[in-house]
Amino acid sequence: MIWVLLGLLWRRLLVVLPLLFVVSIVLFIVLRVLPTDPIAMLVPPNATKEDVEELRAAYGFDKPIPVQYEIWLGGALRGDLGLSTSARTSVTGLIASALPATLELVLCGIALGTLLGVGGGLVMYALRGRFAESAADVGSTVMMSLPEFLWALLFVLCLGVWVPMLPFIGRIDSSIRVPTTTGLYLIDTLAAGNFHGFLNVLSHLVLPVAALALPFAPGIMRVLRSSLFDVGNEEYVRLARLRGIGERRILLHHVMRNALLPTLSLIGVQAGFMFGGTLLVEIIFSWPGMGSLMVTAVRNQDLPLIQGIVLTYCIVVLVLNFAIDASYLALNPKLRTA
Amino acid sequence: MSKLAALRSSPRVLVGGALVGTLFAVALLAPWLAPHDPNAQDLIQVLLPPVWLPGGEAEYPFGTDNLGRCVLSRLLYGARVASYVAIVASFFAMLLGTALAVVAGYFRGWVDWVIGRVVDVWMSFPPVILALVLLLAFGAGVDRVVLGIVLVGWTRFCRVLRSEVLAIGRHDFVLAARLLGFGHLRIIVREILPNTFPLIVTLISLEMGIAVIVEAILSFTGVSVEADVPTWGVMIADGRVYLNENAAPLIFPALAIFLSVLGFNLLGDGLRRVLDPRMASRRSVLA
Repeated sequence: MIWVLLGLLWRRLLVVLPLLFVVSIVLFIVLRVLPTDPIAMLVPPNATKEDVEELRAAYGFDKPIPVQYEIWLGGALRGDLGLSTSARTSVTGLIASALPATLELVLCGIALGTLLGVGGGLVMYALRGRFAESAADVGSTVMMSLPEFLWALLFVLCLGVWVPMLPFIGRIDSSIRVPTTTGLYLIDTLAAGNFHGFLNVLSHLVLPVAALALPFAPGIMRVLRSSLFDVGNEEYVRLARLRGIGERRILLHHVMRNALLPTLSLIGVQAGFMFGGTLLVEIIFSWPGMGSLMVTAVRNQDLPLIQGIVLTYCIVVLVLNFAIDASYLALNPKLRTA
Repeated sequence: MSKLAALRSSPRVLVGGALVGTLFAVALLAPWLAPHDPNAQDLIQVLLPPVWLPGGEAEYPFGTDNLGRCVLSRLLYGARVASYVAIVASFFAMLLGTALAVVAGYFRGWVDWVIGRVVDVWMSFPPVILALVLLLAFGAGVDRVVLGIVLVGWTRFCRVLRSEVLAIGRHDFVLAARLLGFGHLRIIVREILPNTFPLIVTLISLEMGIAVIVEAILSFTGVSVEADVPTWGVMIADGRVYLNENAAPLIFPALAIFLSVLGFNLLGDGLRRVLDPRMASRRSVLA
């Protein structure tokens, strides 16, 4: 099993590394041909021409694009993504402090969304052919039609402003101090034995995570239901029924295992979308993550920062896809020999 | 039952069609329906509640925003931007995606490989992030937003249609057409494309919903349109700041986005159920 996984990892890396290389070049070119001047944002209005040129040289914007790329790539390979023009600190540092916040949000969102989706799919399959199934079907379309950021605004409005029940600003109350070791506050607070802090982090997570999970769940619900249908018509399921095995056991032990596979690849695709969907949710909940960083970078036309963020997004999406492939392999013995 | 009759008796198609039809009608008629200029400011009457709440004025049926602009008028003009973006962006995304999918799925071999890899590179960016970067490169403007959505959305058409074209290409009638000596172009246009039509119609409907959402997201982040273009995303971004005083300038555009997307999704879903033969057989087996 471990060798199969390593083999998969190797084959993936062979595809992913050239992919990342191409992506970084495309990105570099797109960002460098922008009609904007990143230096103009930096200097005070009374700066002399020499000042501007000096600054341009300091950031390396005066060199030809291929040379700029070479310098950038050399740094990137050592984990140094350059200097942010707006924050004037290292891009790697900015990303390192923002990424855990987004990861915590997205991982919780995927977990809750999958839970809701799988649960909903099972319920819909169990109700098949009844009126309740059509009702649930329409309900899932309605859920899907409300994008993350509208759910987020709805929650802020209802549970934050009208009936204040849950916090909707930031990751944690400013009065609570957590030692940042992993940057994932749920883990950090638990590791520090700060149970009060843990609950506080959890309460901050509820609304944004729910906003991400609700539009995520219906797609999974539908794919799971239709693959449950397909698998449920197989011979071996009928055989199990003839052998007198109970419906619930057939569903959970015989049908479910095979039906989960197409669902899993959908979760992989959607997880990538959710990672991008945090953009507005983070802004709405003042979440100090990648989305907020990206919007700030775009508004300040901070090219090195945008470049670093987009590349990080790509890497995380690729890692997510790899994790999904690996679990696919673990669930489907047929693929292991290939 | 003929397909047309089936379409007319599908509640999804009817409700979805009605919602989409309303959106397009409102978009067309906005200049006649709107009581005010969408950008006209009335700084004496800012953040008025809707007319049915205490303090509302009949002059502003849905109230006013923080600059005293008429929420109803902005909402109606916003429908124009949303419809325009939805129709134009999804049409061109369809053209680009379908063309590449047909080439990849029909000719297979190295062409398929190259197109497949391009799609892979494209899809390794989260779509919203990609659209944001593209918009940064193009600059603001409704047509640039359309271009951004086309460049992000074509992969959805390409991936789904490629496997469909592959499957159709294996049928005997395609082989027969080849044996009869028909050229590639004629086979693609006469034999392959008509069979992908149901899928294309469904995908367009779903893509329109996505386009409305992406446009709103982009205008929310403030990179999408010129400052004097009223869009639902801009309204939501403006309204969010004054949420505590008056929620109406935010609730109405949010509701408009929801109803439009719901319309496109219901329509797409209903069309797929009626037009896709595989779905039809499944339903008859179940019934």
